[in-house]
Amino acid sequence: MILPIAFCVGLLTYAVWPWLPFARAAQPPRTIVFYGFSILSDVMTSGIFPAFQKAWAAEGKAPVEFVSSFAGSGTVTNQIILGVPAQLALLSLESDAERLASAGVIAPGSWRRLPFQGVVNRTPFVIVVRKGNPSAIHDFADLARSGIGVVHPDPATSGGANWSVVAEYGAGLRRSGGNAQAAEAQLRGIWKNVVAQAASARAARVQFDQGFGDALVTYEQEPLWDRTRGKFRGEIVYPSSTILSEHTLVVIDKHIGPADREVIARFVDFLWSEPAQRIFVAYGFRSVLPQLEGANPGFGKIEDPFLIADFGGWTHARPEIVDGIWKRRVMASLHP
Amino acid sequence: MRDRSWEARGRGARAAAPVGLLLLILFPLILLPLAAVFLFAFRGGPQSFLEALRSREAQFALRFSLLIAFATAGVNAVLGTFAAYVLSRHRFPGQRALAIVVNLPVAIPTVVVGTSLLLLWGPIGLLGRWLDPLGIQPMFAPAGVLLAHLFVTFPYMVGAVKPVLDEIETTYEEAAYTIGANAWQTFRLVLLPAIKGGLFSGALLTFAHSLGEFGATVLVSGNLRLRTQTAPLYIFAQFEAGNVTQANAVAAVLATLSFVIFFFLLRDTTPGGSRK
Repeated sequence: MILPIAFCVGLLTYAVWPWLPFARAAQPPRTIVFYGFSILSDVMTSGIFPAFQKAWAAEGKAPVEFVSSFAGSGTVTNQIILGVPAQLALLSLESDAERLASAGVIAPGSWRRLPFQGVVNRTPFVIVVRKGNPSAIHDFADLARSGIGVVHPDPATSGGANWSVVAEYGAGLRRSGGNAQAAEAQLRGIWKNVVAQAASARAARVQFDQGFGDALVTYEQEPLWDRTRGKFRGEIVYPSSTILSEHTLVVIDKHIGPADREVIARFVDFLWSEPAQRIFVAYGFRSVLPQLEGANPGFGKIEDPFLIADFGGWTHARPEIVDGIWKRRVMASLHP
Repeated sequence: MRDRSWEARGRGARAAAPVGLLLLILFPLILLPLAAVFLFAFRGGPQSFLEALRSREAQFALRFSLLIAFATAGVNAVLGTFAAYVLSRHRFPGQRALAIVVNLPVAIPTVVVGTSLLLLWGPIGLLGRWLDPLGIQPMFAPAGVLLAHLFVTFPYMVGAVKPVLDEIETTYEEAAYTIGANAWQTFRLVLLPAIKGGLFSGALLTFAHSLGEFGATVLVSGNLRLRTQTAPLYIFAQFEAGNVTQANAVAAVLATLSFVIFFFLLRDTTPGGSRK
């Protein structure tokens, strides 16, 4: 009986240690609650947050701490609608911001008043294949060949998956000179080959790394960042035509108390400052600042890039392409 | 005694084939996956294992999980013992129904528990929408995690204490009453010593389950690093992010803790163990 009790007392002491009066920091620091979509985890926690904390402390201000959570953009949006105390959220899709607005969490269109209409950074959608490209995949059309296994995140929860669907459909549309039937056929062909659907882009990459499938459709930032860290074992295939995703920041005013306003406003401005944008570039994102265009030598060239604006923005693309074509036509025909 | 051991050895010889088969099944099913956690955790050497553990988020997640587990075990030790006492010592209409309700959490998927707590206490939930304007928000906060763990682990305490109570004859309590002990004295001096073993194993089980709880926690916590992220959520988040070393370091610690708890459970509750 003595051993278990000693063990419990030891565990309890360890657990409460930071909260004991003599071990505790003099003043609990101010916090910013930040939610982000899956691939932001590294750049925010080891790049952007520390840089801002340093800049903020350099002005002699009381230290600020970040409380953060990262998941698929759709998951984050649903959590915020359910009431998590997020103060800032960087979402993959503007349509997720619109969902927040229609749920009454933020004012409609409030993000468009931010710099660059709320877009913090971007990255094109690419195909990642195994080393040496054994399946000879050179474009989205090759993903529709029979026998290819495609790892894809799930459009229900992942922003990246929505971008991918529009990239696959849009590329088909542009390559066929606007033939909607050909584009839909290409989308169907690719989705017939999908072997794994993960909840987020980051989770899909982990699945691919563990050996599932022959190809992964994902943000260019993912393999670029892996390559920078020397962890990349595959190859990047740049489709001749693909979408440049744009990631939207929302400020959730109703969760920001008067005491937090100044530091949050400063952090929001900081995100578009050149030092912060350089950090995004170093982690493989493409900057929105014109002067940083092409700052990362790793960025690949895309013959025919397009934007969501070419489809009338997410307000049109989401109901027409993702829900209308992908969900109701393609998926319904594949899994009747 | 010698006879018995001889007999057991004879039986042992005949048992060799089924025991071997069982080991053959258990090896890939249970033992190898557990070994993999430890092998992966130490693959980068003890240095990187310790470094992964020393990160602020990992430390917070472990401490937070332990605190929640202690609180859950403490609260449920009281509530569960009370429930077991009422169900064991009183006869009343609806008793069977109540006994089922008490054990219900075992049968409900934990994700469903999380969802239902959110739909009740969440800011848009049935009760939560009245509490929210008052500034009371149990969900996405440590209180919400505790609520979820109390719910999920409730039956373990009752399950451990009630059978022990059922076996104690009421004549002891009646004897205590007749010599003038009040209800509290009777409980403390007569019942408590008798149910100590049940309490102990119930608390350990509750603690272990709370430490590993995932399904309900992931929904009610909001998964906030340094605020509501428990160790299992940390493992999942790090694994999903591809940080296998970080995930495995904490996983190895959790697994070790569970081993220790089960060692205590087995040692102290099996006949032939040190106590009982």
